Amino acid sequence: MGTLDYIWLGILAVFQGPELFSIFGLPVSVTLVMILIGFLTGIAVGATPGLAGPIAMAIALPILISIFGYTPDALLPVMGFLIGVMKGATIGGAVPAILFNTPGTPDAYMTTLDGYPMTQKGQARKALRVAHFSSASGDTFSDIVLIICAPFLALLVEAYLDFPEKTALLILSLSFIGAVIGGSPAKGVLSTGLGLLAVYIGTGEDFYPRMSMGSDHLSQGFPIATSVLGVLIIGAVFKEMTDLWHQQRKSGTPPQFTDEGNQRLTRAEICRLLPFVGRSALIGTAIGALPGIGSTLAATLGYTVGRARHARTKSANVPDFGEGASEGIAATEAANSSVSGANLIPVLSLGIPGNAAAVFLILAAESIGGFNPGPSVFRFTQDVVNPELVIAFGLFTAMFIANALNWTIGGLFMRSMGVMVRIPKHILLPTVLLLTLTAIYVQETRIEAIWFALGFGALGYVMRLLAISPLPFVIAFILGGKLEESARQAFAATGGDAWFLFSSPISIGFIAASIGIILFSAGKKKHAA
Amino acid sequence: MKRTLKAAIAAIGLTVTATVGMAADWTPPGPIKLMIAFRAGGGADTQARLIAEALEEKMGWKFIPEQVTGKGGLNMANTLKGQPNDGTAIGLAVTETFGYNMAAANAGMSPEDFTGLTTTAGFQMGIVAPSGKGWASFDDMIAAAKGGQDIRFGVMSPKLADLAYLLGKAQGVEFNIVQVKGGKAVMNGVTAGDLDVGFMAGIQAKGVAAGDLVNLASGLSQPLVQTPEAPTMADLGVDFNSDGYFVFVGPAGMPDDARKSLSEAIAAVANDESSKAGGLIKKAFGGAATIMGDDLTQLMASDYANAGALLDAASE
Amino acid sequence: MRHSNGNLILGGVTLAFAILVIFVWIPLDTQTGLIEKVRRQVTIGDALAPTIAASFLAIGGLMLVLFERNADDQPRVSSQDVLFGLALVASVILSVLVMRYSGPATISIWNLLSGGEAEYRLLRDTAPWKYIGFLLGGTMMITLLVSLVEGRVRARTLLIAFVSVSVMAAIYDLPFDDLLLPPNGDV
Repeated sequence: MGTLDYIWLGILAVFQGPELFSIFGLPVSVTLVMILIGFLTGIAVGATPGLAGPIAMAIALPILISIFGYTPDALLPVMGFLIGVMKGATIGGAVPAILFNTPGTPDAYMTTLDGYPMTQKGQARKALRVAHFSSASGDTFSDIVLIICAPFLALLVEAYLDFPEKTALLILSLSFIGAVIGGSPAKGVLSTGLGLLAVYIGTGEDFYPRMSMGSDHLSQGFPIATSVLGVLIIGAVFKEMTDLWHQQRKSGTPPQFTDEGNQRLTRAEICRLLPFVGRSALIGTAIGALPGIGSTLAATLGYTVGRARHARTKSANVPDFGEGASEGIAATEAANSSVSGANLIPVLSLGIPGNAAAVFLILAAESIGGFNPGPSVFRFTQDVVNPELVIAFGLFTAMFIANALNWTIGGLFMRSMGVMVRIPKHILLPTVLLLTLTAIYVQETRIEAIWFALGFGALGYVMRLLAISPLPFVIAFILGGKLEESARQAFAATGGDAWFLFSSPISIGFIAASIGIILFSAGKKKHAA
Repeated sequence: MKRTLKAAIAAIGLTVTATVGMAADWTPPGPIKLMIAFRAGGGADTQARLIAEALEEKMGWKFIPEQVTGKGGLNMANTLKGQPNDGTAIGLAVTETFGYNMAAANAGMSPEDFTGLTTTAGFQMGIVAPSGKGWASFDDMIAAAKGGQDIRFGVMSPKLADLAYLLGKAQGVEFNIVQVKGGKAVMNGVTAGDLDVGFMAGIQAKGVAAGDLVNLASGLSQPLVQTPEAPTMADLGVDFNSDGYFVFVGPAGMPDDARKSLSEAIAAVANDESSKAGGLIKKAFGGAATIMGDDLTQLMASDYANAGALLDAASE
Repeated sequence: MRHSNGNLILGGVTLAFAILVIFVWIPLDTQTGLIEKVRRQVTIGDALAPTIAASFLAIGGLMLVLFERNADDQPRVSSQDVLFGLALVASVILSVLVMRYSGPATISIWNLLSGGEAEYRLLRDTAPWKYIGFLLGGTMMITLLVSLVEGRVRARTLLIAFVSVSVMAAIYDLPFDDLLLPPNGDV
């Protein structure tokens, strides 16, 4: 079994998986169909203000698991769907940003700056085309980097990292995520601590479920779906409803603009956009590969760098950034779209999720079973087929299929999504809430799960009020179990060496870096204040 | 649509079984909740779901499988204990849950709180090392340990950790015992070189056949089917072993007709190698082993009673 | 410019909570200490990981107090937001309670009227019983939440809520044999 054999098996796993129907005698695998449905759902959800990719993933996951069951055969269709949603939502987010000046997803905010002015000038369709072209380019670039880097990084980790170094690496990732996400490192660390504390309740190695206060309800710990969906989705729903209540819903219909002139992208225009797309794709990919820094920062950085270049190179009659420059849209969309692929590098090679979409991929893998994202996935075994590696290459294939869909039908579908903005948010949000609670219940089948989710939702709400980012909480919750496990194993494997974290140069380096990163960001913050 | 179809199939199934005259005098009064004490997606979980599926088809009963994992099966046991005992709630765990784990946890539960239905399969528990180590036998490993090499011994439960400790003690060496989550993790650790040797409950079969892994010893009272020449625990000077089974249980005091119907129906599926469930049991666990009725009650009670001796021995 | 002291308060509360967790909750409610000796081998006990989690909290709280006390971007939490949040949560709790108990309650009333001895537990996978809780509780949840935001109760809201809950029940229940709508896994 060589590398090429594995790649080929992965491709086959997607195309020859369980057959749904056939066209002219050609079988169409269920995975292909799921990627397509996911992609279209993603665009629609991204184009709806108030919804985002993670919400669609959260609601769809239990339904998908019941359709496909708890077998390894379920992994590719379910995760293919999620990948489709992830990619679709990224381009969908640009639609309301350009047409109505309301970003569909947070990272599309920068798109409004030039997109809406273009709409006002009667160039809406052109702006959408620019967004689609840049987004798809960034996405493709990012996927290529993922496929080259992930296996390589995993092999490095597996070859050089023993139990102590793996523990140190987890500590480094948590510190990094805590210090970098959101505006305040202190609050990031606090959020990380809360997430860890939550995952340690009811778990542990002793037969007594620790910190359960003797209660049977807490003795199984908090199911991962309740904390992740509670803090990420229910908390967000509560917060958005409060904002809506404050706004008392602005009435009236959005102003209408009619398109004028040629809306197509010429070859010359594409050439003009390419340098902006290229830079932003590089920025987005680099940022995406680091766990925890999301597409919003990528979009901001891409936009800023693009603006600097544009100011230097533009000719006099071309609009500035912020006044309807297509380069502005290109710089933003290429950056935020190139995050998604690269974000899977830490997920697949280390098992460390970096953003909400990655969190749901891990959730899917955990719920279905048979695939544990992490370095052990990339074991190129010779005699026996490593099924997890086949799945990994199947996922890569799925990403390229979603990419191809993006290039072919994505633009067309995206331009028809302008209607989604009319959906009344204040009715949509409670529906999403009930859907989320139902989704949690059908997976856990006990009412405590709903209470837990609601509690985490309230926590998520309070965190948002206090401007504490919920993402470190969620990532800490996911990594906390792994952290304790690997620390125990490192300790036992080294024969009870209390200084196991400092037993090798690599792990000393990781620990030093994690302390450094927290001190550095804290110092910087103090300086800024 | 699918629902009506299933109902129709179920109805037909019911009439067929009734005419054949199998133990159809008992039918569950409602849907049966099946609590699975294992993580979704593993061999044990798949086994439970396949058995439920087969019974739905064959008997027309309705199962609702759910995961109740954690604490070596004790979470499942604790939840199951409070359920109605009319046959509408059963669970799948391992005998270790009701023996060693219950005794060690001291959480106010004993096998008497449960009705044993049937076991489905035993474990081919081996002590396995990668062939790359160059150890052909258990003695080779002990020699290496005595030569000053640190040996990392992977286990997946506290009971196995005790056994590994006693094994070291009997052989005059000290292992670094590393407890990981599940047999798959032991195998990953051993193949990746993070662990030197470990207990594996059957998943090693493919690797051993391919020559990547070696069964150094049997963790059982009996030799392994695949490597009969490997010494048993008793051969290595340890009076305890890891004999164990997957076992279906219900809450205490289940009526006899319900107990009999459930256990016979489950055992029939497990023994039928042409069924999906039976096929899996054959492939993954080396074939069915169905102990039921009073034999099972006795087995569970004695496992629980004997656990104290192992706990004592291991804390010396 | 006068700064809000929100970060100072948050930091102080976090710090106090972390200390409480480390010195009271963890020692009282874990079976093994930070490290313990079993089988002649020192191993990590169950108290260590939560202690580290609480240390993260303490460090975060300390950083807030020391470094970010005077940060510019401190949020101002209005009591209005808190109250509205409480109202939202209370509505959901109420609706979930209705969801949980309306099915069994209906059966008891049915039994009283007909003199039967039906049990909800055994009927939880049988229409129409299995839908009672979800439809009632769900409709109530959406109606309450929408009305809270709109600041008024309208019959139209009730209708929309009922229709969307019915669609939801259909999505989850009709195609799948082994999915249980809330609250049917508990009873």
